[in-house]
Amino acid sequence: MAAHRRIGVFVCHCGGNISDHVDVKSVADAVASEPGVVVSKTHTFTCSDAAQQEMIADIRNEKLDGLVIASCSPKLHLFTFRGMAERAGINPYQYVHVNLREQCSWAHTDDPGGATRKGAALVRAGIAKAALSRSLHALRVKTAPCVLVIGAGISGLRAALALADLGLEVHLAEQADEPGGAVRRWGPLAPDGQSGREVVGGLLARVRAHPRVTLHTATGLVAKSGSIGDFHLTLRSAGGAETALHAGAIVVATGFDSYEPKPGEFGRGLEGVVTLPEFRDGADLQGGTLTFRNRTVKSVAFIYCVGSRQSESETCPSPNAWCSRFCCTAATHLAAQIAAQEARGGAAVTQVHLYRDIRTYGHNERVYEEARRGGALFLRYGDGTPPTVERADPGLLVKVKDELTGDAEIEIPADLVVLVTGMVPRSNPGLMDVLKLPVSKDGFLGEIHIKLRPVETVIDGVFIAGAAQSPKSMAESVGSALAAVAKAGALLKKGYVDLEPLIARVDADRCLWCDECLKACPYGAIEKVPCGGKEIAQVVASQCKGEGACVPVCPHGALDIEGYTDAQITAMIDAGIRGEAVR
Amino acid sequence: MTPPDPARELDHDVLVVGAGTAGMEAANSLGDMGYRVLLVEKKPSVGGRTILLSKVFPTLDCASCIATPRMAATAHHPNVTLMVNSEVDGVTRAGNGTFRASVRRRATSVDPDACTGCGQCAEACTVPMVDEYNYDLVARRAAHIPFPQAVPKKAVISRSGCAPCLHTCPAGVKPSGYVSLVRAGKIDEAFRLHLEDAPLVGSLARACYAPCEGECTRCDLEGAVHIRAIKRFMADRYYATHPEPEYGPPETRLETRIAIVGSGPAGLSAAFHLAKQGHRVTVFEAEPQAGGMLRHGMPAYRMPHDVLDRDIRNITALGVEIRTGTRVESVASLKAQGFAAVFVGVGNQVPKVIPLQGRDLANVTDCMRFLKDSKDGGEMPDLRGKHVVVLGGGNVALDVARSSVRLATASTTILCLEDRARMPAHGWEVQEAEEEGVRLLTSASAKRLLTNAAGEPMLEYRAVATIDFTPEGRMTGFTVAEGTGQPIRADVVILAVGLGPSTAPFAGELELTPQKTIRTDPGTLQTSDPVVFAGGDAVLGPSIVTEAMGQGRRAAYHIDRMLRGTTGIVPFWDQPATVRKDSVLQGCACSHKPASAPRRRPPRERIQSFETYEDAFTEAEARDAANRCLGCGECSQCRQCVKVCPADCIDFSMRDETLDVRVGAVILATGYGILDPGRKELMGYGRYPNVISGPQMDRLLAPTRPYNAVLRPSDGKVPDNIGIVLCNGSRDHTVDNPLCCRIGCMYSAKHAQLIMGALPMADITIYTIDARAFGKGYDEFYEQSRAMGVQYVRGKVARVEELENGNLKVHYENIAGGGTQTMEHDLLVLTVGLLPNPDALALMRGETPAADDWAYVREPDPVAEPGRTSLDGVFAAGTVVGARDIPDTVLHAAAAAAQAAAYIEEARAG
Repeated sequence: MAAHRRIGVFVCHCGGNISDHVDVKSVADAVASEPGVVVSKTHTFTCSDAAQQEMIADIRNEKLDGLVIASCSPKLHLFTFRGMAERAGINPYQYVHVNLREQCSWAHTDDPGGATRKGAALVRAGIAKAALSRSLHALRVKTAPCVLVIGAGISGLRAALALADLGLEVHLAEQADEPGGAVRRWGPLAPDGQSGREVVGGLLARVRAHPRVTLHTATGLVAKSGSIGDFHLTLRSAGGAETALHAGAIVVATGFDSYEPKPGEFGRGLEGVVTLPEFRDGADLQGGTLTFRNRTVKSVAFIYCVGSRQSESETCPSPNAWCSRFCCTAATHLAAQIAAQEARGGAAVTQVHLYRDIRTYGHNERVYEEARRGGALFLRYGDGTPPTVERADPGLLVKVKDELTGDAEIEIPADLVVLVTGMVPRSNPGLMDVLKLPVSKDGFLGEIHIKLRPVETVIDGVFIAGAAQSPKSMAESVGSALAAVAKAGALLKKGYVDLEPLIARVDADRCLWCDECLKACPYGAIEKVPCGGKEIAQVVASQCKGEGACVPVCPHGALDIEGYTDAQITAMIDAGIRGEAVR
Repeated sequence: MTPPDPARELDHDVLVVGAGTAGMEAANSLGDMGYRVLLVEKKPSVGGRTILLSKVFPTLDCASCIATPRMAATAHHPNVTLMVNSEVDGVTRAGNGTFRASVRRRATSVDPDACTGCGQCAEACTVPMVDEYNYDLVARRAAHIPFPQAVPKKAVISRSGCAPCLHTCPAGVKPSGYVSLVRAGKIDEAFRLHLEDAPLVGSLARACYAPCEGECTRCDLEGAVHIRAIKRFMADRYYATHPEPEYGPPETRLETRIAIVGSGPAGLSAAFHLAKQGHRVTVFEAEPQAGGMLRHGMPAYRMPHDVLDRDIRNITALGVEIRTGTRVESVASLKAQGFAAVFVGVGNQVPKVIPLQGRDLANVTDCMRFLKDSKDGGEMPDLRGKHVVVLGGGNVALDVARSSVRLATASTTILCLEDRARMPAHGWEVQEAEEEGVRLLTSASAKRLLTNAAGEPMLEYRAVATIDFTPEGRMTGFTVAEGTGQPIRADVVILAVGLGPSTAPFAGELELTPQKTIRTDPGTLQTSDPVVFAGGDAVLGPSIVTEAMGQGRRAAYHIDRMLRGTTGIVPFWDQPATVRKDSVLQGCACSHKPASAPRRRPPRERIQSFETYEDAFTEAEARDAANRCLGCGECSQCRQCVKVCPADCIDFSMRDETLDVRVGAVILATGYGILDPGRKELMGYGRYPNVISGPQMDRLLAPTRPYNAVLRPSDGKVPDNIGIVLCNGSRDHTVDNPLCCRIGCMYSAKHAQLIMGALPMADITIYTIDARAFGKGYDEFYEQSRAMGVQYVRGKVARVEELENGNLKVHYENIAGGGTQTMEHDLLVLTVGLLPNPDALALMRGETPAADDWAYVREPDPVAEPGRTSLDGVFAAGTVVGARDIPDTVLHAAAAAAQAAAYIEEARAG
């Protein structure tokens, strides 16, 4: 087969990044007589415009139908050279990228001879692969200009509005009877004192007024089929009414749960030991004097990191290792509000904050400063010596070893103890079953890459927003919601999506349908179809990721991954180990 | 997607300012959504500060892996137009929801389309600069590729202006260039660079009054770079190894014949530059030897003949014919011989005469005759035991007087009208003359010669009462006081009261000025006869060698253009504006140790002969002297890059270009600044070499790190006990920055883990107030550092003290253990505060986005509308609104993109 091919090989110096350790001329010479190779050259920088022009000329003049460029990581320039191949008039999937930099020169700086031999072997393998390459075409899917946003908290509301502002149709589904999520009940919140109630109220009014947003309350997603750009979804209301949707993308903004301390944890269960959300719900910070559930509070102790930054122990076998991020700022903001209430003429309140590290990052530091200026007392306790809370008469007694005074045990009487509880992943088994979204180690929804693709998930077309991903402040939640909007907008505003054709294919002659591939596929991309009097497996192109789990489990060798066929891999190994030393 | 509204006529939908992580993310997001984006970046590469990092927390991905995919996507995005090396000079609201932006693309002196990024220019470049991409840990070259992963990967030449020395030289010689070549040890290349501009290198190395040194920025420190002495070394070395020129006549010779009248510096310079262009040049010289004033008007102790002869061979090697002993009496005769163009450089050698009663009583002569006669080697005038009086206070008078003392006179006196301070001669020359025993009689006017009782000739003079000068310093008149001074002995009187132009033969053919100099067009030096050009002293009157050579070159340029029929206005002098000296000095952290001047022989010794009395530098001295160059304007114009560039893409004629674009929205993504850790004086940064900043530590750990190892700066020792001090200039009211930098705790934990990887035996201590590990996976990362054995000390470091071995003693308060304690480290890292970039607030014209108390751009509604500023249509992405780490920056930037997209959609809908 290779004999019929016309393959061009271009080996890159990468300015010296490669050629300092790999004799690129030797590599090009060594592979020049490989079957099918008609051009074998080197370039100082294959990625430079000038070199690309020369390579395009070679491709055209020599009528090449296979291309191997040995340069840097494909992460950098795979798409560069695919684009070049296309401009030169050959199919981009007949181009093979060989990594001579990260996988050869940089790894073998101490052994130029060995690096050169390995380089030649890698290029030979690339040639063998190119010789078996086929013309492939991206799968173009028309996208539906509609988005389902799941969760009508602050993130979901803002995402819905922004998507609608881009001209897309939006369905916003909220499981609860009331939209607004966690913060809808609360007044001034950290760090700038913006009222949760007002912000959510404002967003809700805009959502309700927007002609392109449909709000569904007491409604959940119960079924999903199709794939990116082309999802077929079913919503079901609490009353059982079902709505069918054809949506191009899904934004998951399901929020968080608040940590619920176990009985006895920091005195939980004692009268007057409350969590952060309970304190918010029950405290009056606006009136003349601090009250909690209508009782005057003269002394309050805040215990930080409850349910966060836990280490493994007998009582805590699966610890919440994460920092919950928002709570230091939230608690110090409450401290500042209490101090302000006092300054406005309210009764004196003694407030003691027992913390491990105060994490009022960035601009939030000024909230911490304000709390301290207002008279709040901050005591640091060691990781191994958490405070204890016990009943006293009257009220409560908190005991703590204070680091600053050399671990002196300090007893703090308090009317109220606020456990500064963090965020934990929301329990949502039904939805997760439908969406099949993976979660991170901590149980929050997982993104593809926190820095590169922070709102995208491994399920193409499904985006995440807000505290469903990790603990976030309101502003951060909305920021991530808008980021998800940008990505969903990019997907849907174009009207189509091109899918990589490097996916599984079934050899209909060999397949005898045994369902092993179906069981192996994590993406549900295999379906059974009748074919010539028997049943065989068929790959749902838009759902297959080319992961290849189906290939080795097939007892009949009927499956292959385009671009990585067994024949190609075998040929690459054969060529790579032929072991022809470069002189 | 809605098609762009033609009524709005936008060049781009969105202008994104800054191509760091935030700018790239915003631009890519908008581009992905189908909007056309103009992304403007000040630096030569996209990638911001992220690409300069080692690895990133909490995943320890390498920074390249994080940054380069985004960088490549930006650079290749079909909807993103990227302008690097460009600055937005201002954005104005233009109605209809649109903006007008003025974008200036800075000249990089490299054609980006042709450059392949091979980096050979950087290897050849002789100008070292502080490498900002390595946070000043090492040097880079003026010609450089910012860093290996730069996108686009194109060379850039740092050139902020023309160096004052280069700007000043009337001959257009590039002192900055050859000084930097000498510094680099490229002596022959230095000579050749000089030769491109002016051929009489050896002569200039001795006879030039070096205006460049007067303009040297280093004068404002401890004294000018000894440029002329460096040139002398360079010329002497080159001539010693190259007794003959390395070249012959140009390959392509034209048929055009050009006559040069006069073989002084102007004529020789014109001949040289014309011959290089291929013209056939004949030089006519009335005297028996070529050289003009250099040969006949300059004492041998300044201008040895063999050097001049060698210099002249630089010209004759090109095929120039010099006809000595041939006086040209008219232009017409030259035209008749078939010369297509003529350059007249006859000089200014006619001595002026003043009335002097009784001039037959003594031996009265003129300066030109005297200087010609007193050249070493010829028949010397016999002045032994004679009393000589020189009339005049200019440089020629000084040459005469100093020559005269070398002829064993009984006395030599200079008598001049001016007071000492206003003598036209150079001050140093007067001083050297005095050292050699020349007597000065200033503010004196010679009256008459007479004989005393012993029959000896005496000169009577009167004191000058008042004297008038033009603003340029030319004397216009004087009055004398009553009475006369005590007459002085005057066996020989030499008149050196000025010289006049030698233009008499051409008076009928060329238009002259009232001063009898030739009238020319100041730009082209063309005379009243269009094919005749003139230059040098014949045009300028008495001037200096470099001025004459500069004119010869200028005339040659225009003669060549005329003969080739080139039209259009082309500036002969093509240099950027001269760099401001104060800005050079501001950025310079050099020692102030004066370099030794070239040795001069003591006066008693120097008057024994006409030998050169100034010793040449040794190579070590010359390179040491060259090393004092401050590199004003960065690129020295040494042109080594031009010689090596395989793509021929270096172009020094490039100038900044300004584009006016109309856009539909603006995103500010100008990033953040880093607080100068030197502001925390007690921490020792900038004073103790082993105290480094956090960003510098990151560079030491990066794959593209400067030393390829973790070393401490003072002595290259591998550190084994490293301290990391957090919160320097953040959470700190003493520097007005109470904000938390948000990343210091995390990147310090990263440093600790990476150091442990690089130096497994090293002890690491982190001094911290709180450990702020708040993001996804961060606290786990912090706990991992602790588990690996990093010591966390709770407390503030008060001050740092340097020990004799370069180690640092840290004084700190330990909150957990109690009390003040000290600890010794061999390397100390200061994690520094972040600052807003003031550019963000200065970008808009006519309005300013609202800012917070610390001058970050303020988001009026940070909760519901992140990324929005107080200005409609102007958005903010990333750290421009406050410090953030990479994940938070990416999210914020994508949010800003969504905001901008919504704004555009609304504007399109009307």
